Amino acid sequence: MAGQPTGAAKPEGRGVFALLRKGRRGRSQAPWIFLLPALFMYALVMIYPSLAGSWYAFTNWDGLTRTASFVGLENFRQLLQDSQAIASLKNTIVLAVTVTIVQNAIGLLLALGVNYNIKSRNVLRVIFFASVVLTPVIVAFLWQYIYAPGGALNRVLDLLHLGWLKQDWLGDPNVALWAVIAVVIWQYAGYSMVIFLAGLQGVPQELYEAAEIDGAGTLQRFWNVTRPMIAPATTVNLMLSIIGGLRLFDQVFALTGGGPGYATETLSTVLYKQAFIVGAYGYGTAIALVLALIVACIAMIQLKVLRSQEVEA
Amino acid sequence: MSKDKRDAVREGGSSKREFSRQDFLYFVGAGAGIAALSGPLAACSRFIGGAGQGSSSGGGGSLRVATTGINPEPIQVFIGAFKDKNPDTKVSLTNADTDKYQTTLRTQLSSGTAPDVFFVWPGNGNAMALKQVGPAGYIADLSDQPWADDIPERYESVTQLDGKTMILPTTTTLIGAITNKQIMDDLALEAPGTWNELLSFCDKIKASGKVPIALGNATPWITQLIDYALVPSTVYADNPDFDEDMKTGKATFANSGWRDAMEKYLELNDRGYFNESPLGTSYEQQLQLVAKGDAAMAVQVSTSLGQVENYGEKDQYIVLPFPGNEEPDKLWIPAAAGGSFGLNAEAKNPEGGKELLRVMAEPENMNQAASLQGALPGIPNDQFEVDPDLKPMMPFLDEGKTVPFMDQLWPNAEVQQIHFAVVQQLFTGEITIDEALRRMDEAYQKGS
Repeated sequence: MAGQPTGAAKPEGRGVFALLRKGRRGRSQAPWIFLLPALFMYALVMIYPSLAGSWYAFTNWDGLTRTASFVGLENFRQLLQDSQAIASLKNTIVLAVTVTIVQNAIGLLLALGVNYNIKSRNVLRVIFFASVVLTPVIVAFLWQYIYAPGGALNRVLDLLHLGWLKQDWLGDPNVALWAVIAVVIWQYAGYSMVIFLAGLQGVPQELYEAAEIDGAGTLQRFWNVTRPMIAPATTVNLMLSIIGGLRLFDQVFALTGGGPGYATETLSTVLYKQAFIVGAYGYGTAIALVLALIVACIAMIQLKVLRSQEVEA
Repeated sequence: MSKDKRDAVREGGSSKREFSRQDFLYFVGAGAGIAALSGPLAACSRFIGGAGQGSSSGGGGSLRVATTGINPEPIQVFIGAFKDKNPDTKVSLTNADTDKYQTTLRTQLSSGTAPDVFFVWPGNGNAMALKQVGPAGYIADLSDQPWADDIPERYESVTQLDGKTMILPTTTTLIGAITNKQIMDDLALEAPGTWNELLSFCDKIKASGKVPIALGNATPWITQLIDYALVPSTVYADNPDFDEDMKTGKATFANSGWRDAMEKYLELNDRGYFNESPLGTSYEQQLQLVAKGDAAMAVQVSTSLGQVENYGEKDQYIVLPFPGNEEPDKLWIPAAAGGSFGLNAEAKNPEGGKELLRVMAEPENMNQAASLQGALPGIPNDQFEVDPDLKPMMPFLDEGKTVPFMDQLWPNAEVQQIHFAVVQQLFTGEITIDEALRRMDEAYQKGS
């Protein structure tokens, strides 16, 4: 094509741009050069403080004094014998797994619903997403009133003649954790919806038309077209919700403070109380370190499994 | 620019270099890199250069103050009075809720960035209490201040470290039953003076269809208040040296009147005197029940009286002692040094801080601040006019039948946390009183 510039015709130039222009190797380095500033900042404000802070997990620091004594693995030994922390680990896992499954199932259903060409879809998208922008503490405060013994939820159940379903939502240790989980799902299902929606809008319409011509029904179209095509969105959603669930603190602390008793205690609330209320900062850091390792392990395994499914799709 | 024009420029061999999308990205990337690198460098330079500037301005006309509490009015009284006397000093105030305050202040203290004057809980029992923070050397010795000798003797154990006065208690806070006067009048009830009178009092209220005692045990710190109200009568009336005996190991929670107090706490529950589901009811909901007349009383700190009045009507409530035994002479009440302030040992403006504390200690300021929060002044004085709603509690103060809030004399903050949890577990039936007291003893014996 006339006037089409060629690589050879370009001026060689000097410096980093010239380096980047030098063939495939130079081009492969380009992303790293763009990433470098962000990586540098991330290392400065995240990685270095996290690693430096991890040191306290091996000390008896109380968070105040200027010196801390090295105690080796004592904090981790204490953690293994701490029945409260172990019970909170169980709660953490129940919470994270339930939130991940239910929140994403609801998010997907909402996304499929508002992806249809219905008149009120934009309004519905805003309504479903609205709870995400509220601060967790405000949400917890609102739900405290909804869950109160004479609160809105029990009254609605009475109105619907479903009085037998009434519960002491936050006061019954067998129910409280599920009540907290419901609040988290209520707040963040809209977030999952938005990510699924982005995935759905990238699915070419032609694929559905071809599947329809092949005689695929609604469920088959979903399973064989939609599901694999939104696999990247599913990966992102599952990753975010499992990590968020494992680290969850605000809603639990504001709704129940970990109670009644220890019924809704999670690793995050235990570490907060140990570090900042009891003053066992070293022990609190040890819990934080274990929590970080659990999150990292689960996230890596999950990512590997989900990515492999994306490839297969 | 159209494609033809772009091609014409290229074909013409112009000396102007083409600026492609790729070049644009290179420049943007490089620009971002320079900006990202220059940010921290600039920050470092500001940090290094700014140290001197910070210390000069901090030592000059500014004073940083931090406090906690939902009612901002009392601290504003002090700061207003301080500014009247020191118009050239700029005061910056930070107010945070309890959890955030404790977290932030500890971090600031350990990193050397704490304010000049800050709120400190008297005694022990939580992360920002005097006996947690003081031994680390973060609070200045205030023994030479003119108000130090005026602090009541009963507060010495919670305001001093090694015999040195470290904090100024600005209020005396009481725990009693905030009671709806209308319900008392309607049912012609007299304030109960013994445990059996209390049970009879509650029976009459229950028979009228009202809730005798509102309880908000979903909020952890509320769980302790009924025990705190009962224990002065069941423990300290017979043994005022109970805390010393605990320290030396002569007494334990399990072998003391704490057992009696917990049994009475559960008896109130078993008799159905509390609202439906205390464990699902929060602090705010508890106060609203009393304010709106659905419940007759709530065992609370006296500083919650203002909040009840906000939810309901002014002057409709009275604070009554909560009896725990059968001998009226042995009815004691919890009364503690409340909102207290200390001076940062590394204050940028120590003189300004001491001046603010002097202003806080002046009777007219202390009285005004105490009145605003349903409390008594931390340093008693003749000028204070007791709120009529607090008058039933005054004879106990005058006769010395008071005990500091129990956690103020516990050796660590864990005992209180355990107390919160075991009360909730007693209500759910998960544990027995034996187990509850055993756990509290175990936490106590961990020491400081």
